Amino acid sequence: MDDLTEMLKGTLEGCVLHIIGSEETYGYAITRRLNELGFADVVEGTVYTILLRLERNGFVQVTKRPSGVGPPRKFYALNDAGREELATFWAKWEYITARINKLREGGE
Amino acid sequence: MNFWETITGNDLTREWKAFEVRAQALPADHRAAWEQIKAHLFPYGDFTGRNLMPIMDGALGLLEQTAADGQSIDEVLGDDVQGFCAALAGGEGARTYRDRWRRQLNRNVARKLHRLGG
Repeated sequence: MDDLTEMLKGTLEGCVLHIIGSEETYGYAITRRLNELGFADVVEGTVYTILLRLERNGFVQVTKRPSGVGPPRKFYALNDAGREELATFWAKWEYITARINKLREGGE
Repeated sequence: MNFWETITGNDLTREWKAFEVRAQALPADHRAAWEQIKAHLFPYGDFTGRNLMPIMDGALGLLEQTAADGQSIDEVLGDDVQGFCAALAGGEGARTYRDRWRRQLNRNVARKLHRLGG
């Protein structure tokens, strides 16, 4: 599906939080994971800006490790604030999907 | 950063040189992207451009890392370098030239209207 980007924008941060939440990982791997999920439009630059925002907001713990090739990689893991933010994201997601499904089914 | 460097911007020149040395080591298309990123980030600079330094460093770091991974620049940035730069600089709350121009314009219009008795 093309042109998902606009719709995805608000939720992509939550997706990245979730991916980091399941295991400590780095930008390239996160991008690949999202691509595998079917979000083909997501490029590493997009993920990178999200990671910067997460870092700035204090949701992640960053560790630099040598990568074998080239400069060291930055690995990201969730801290307590990040886990809280992730829980909030899923709560919001539940809320929105429930409302929208209701709308579609013609409920009140 | 000491006083002398603050006044002369010496440290900035040195940092810029270091950036350019790093950029020289990038493959051609990554280097081209670097030039583009620089151009798109400049409007977000403050008077000295000092606020851009960490942002530039981060962007260059991304290019280096992805070049080392053998990723094409298309895989890294897609076709929206401008959006990427806006997102990079955005969270900093950096005052931009555009904001300044907009304010100036508003002020001028207000003044003219006032003179017309509006």
